[in-house]
Amino acid sequence: MIGLYQPGTSLLHRTPAGVKVLVFAALTLAIALTAGGVWTLPAAGCLTAALYLLAGLGIRPLLRQLCAARWIVLVMLVTQVIFLPVLVALTNTGRVLIVIVLAALITLTTRIPALLDATERALAPFRRFGVNPAAIGLLLALTITAIPVIGGFATAIREAQRARGAPVRLQTFVVPLLVMSLKHSDELADALTARGIE
Amino acid sequence: MNGKLIIQFESVSVEFAGRIALRDVSIALDAQRIGVIGSNGSGKSTFARMLNGLVTPTSGAVKVHGLDPVRDGKRLRRHVGFIFSNPDAQIVMPTVTEDLAFSLRGRGLTRSQVAERVASTLESIDLVVHADAPTHSLSSGQKQLLALGAILIGEPDLVVADEPTALLDAANSRKIGNRLLDEIPQQLVLVTHDLRLAARCDIVLRFESGKLHEHGDPRSVVARYERDHA
Ligand SMILES: Nc1ncnc2c1ncn2[C@@H]1O[C@H](COP(=O)(O)OP(=O)(O)O)[C@@H](O)[C@H]1O
Ligand SMILES: [Mg+2]
Repeated sequence: MIGLYQPGTSLLHRTPAGVKVLVFAALTLAIALTAGGVWTLPAAGCLTAALYLLAGLGIRPLLRQLCAARWIVLVMLVTQVIFLPVLVALTNTGRVLIVIVLAALITLTTRIPALLDATERALAPFRRFGVNPAAIGLLLALTITAIPVIGGFATAIREAQRARGAPVRLQTFVVPLLVMSLKHSDELADALTARGIE
Repeated sequence: MNGKLIIQFESVSVEFAGRIALRDVSIALDAQRIGVIGSNGSGKSTFARMLNGLVTPTSGAVKVHGLDPVRDGKRLRRHVGFIFSNPDAQIVMPTVTEDLAFSLRGRGLTRSQVAERVASTLESIDLVVHADAPTHSLSSGQKQLLALGAILIGEPDLVVADEPTALLDAANSRKIGNRLLDEIPQQLVLVTHDLRLAARCDIVLRFESGKLHEHGDPRSVVARYERDHA
């Protein structure tokens, strides 16, 4: 879901990354605070769709983001339905889904360097509490870089299993994925050390 | 610290959990291009990784230009660039430009100095048009060129490459091999299974079962290795 910057000249593309992150934070807060409201979900939904149109991205990327989030949605729904009334579980999940799709809109309209700069600047005031903005920025950058790599592992494992006619099941998928990811993080740690980051 | 880094191993042994990976290696090297060959598991990577302190000797002493790679690792790593086999596992930043600039962190350069060095490095690795591309969108060959650029931008004195062409196709292998052997001014340690690349070095070291089996004239060392494995 991350790292899908789509070049453009819309208002959203031109807005500084810091402003976008702040507006996103404010919207997330608003959605969380008005949790009980009947209108929160439809209003937030319409606003999100409008923002995607404003970004000149059309409705297709929006659908793609929704589709990409389907597993998160499924897991959230299933776990909540066990403990909560169906309607509450649905609205909770709907709110999280909107926040995810809004976050994706930032990555769709912002170049990654600008996003990282904005994050580091936004975190600067927390330095006095022992937060290291550069370290968090680095962590974020590493994560963004790693996502497509791990996505590639997932594809490779599925293909290998299909090629041998093995049914794709969760256990037979998760374990090799973890092993590959851990090996990757080992190699990456070496590369970071070699490049002077301890 | 300029000019040739002298590599010195004095009775160096390395054990991993009781298994010996390197056995009593002693050698002093000042050649420009040093090739390293040997079967899988013979200790080549262990040897190479000691040059910048990624592996610690269990006994004996390693010196790279008088510095101990373990104790003075941080200082030494500025002078020793390291390239691994897997192009995906050495790129740490989301875009090409950022990944190059990452190597210059903490060197006290101004923004414009960094931009200048990034621009000239982009040119030298033929990635100018991909300057702002997400790193994951590059081909394996381009990724390995980027990894090379990320090291050269730091202007090291020694480049250590551990099977840098192992995961590349023939054309990209040739490209990376030529870059390393003929185009960079740095002293080079090249671990490789590609015997043609090894033969182009100035000296070749052959490891077998953790021992420095022999070293010397590239053609003869490579020829004997081929004969033994024929
Ligand atoms: N981190 C490690 N932990 C345990 N054993 C290792 C480790 N690295 C290397 N070895 C072992 O040390 C020996 C030499 O490995 P290596 O130097 O990687 O060989 P080469 O690069 O020539 O294939 C092998 O037997 C290998 O299994
Ligand atoms: Mg090796």
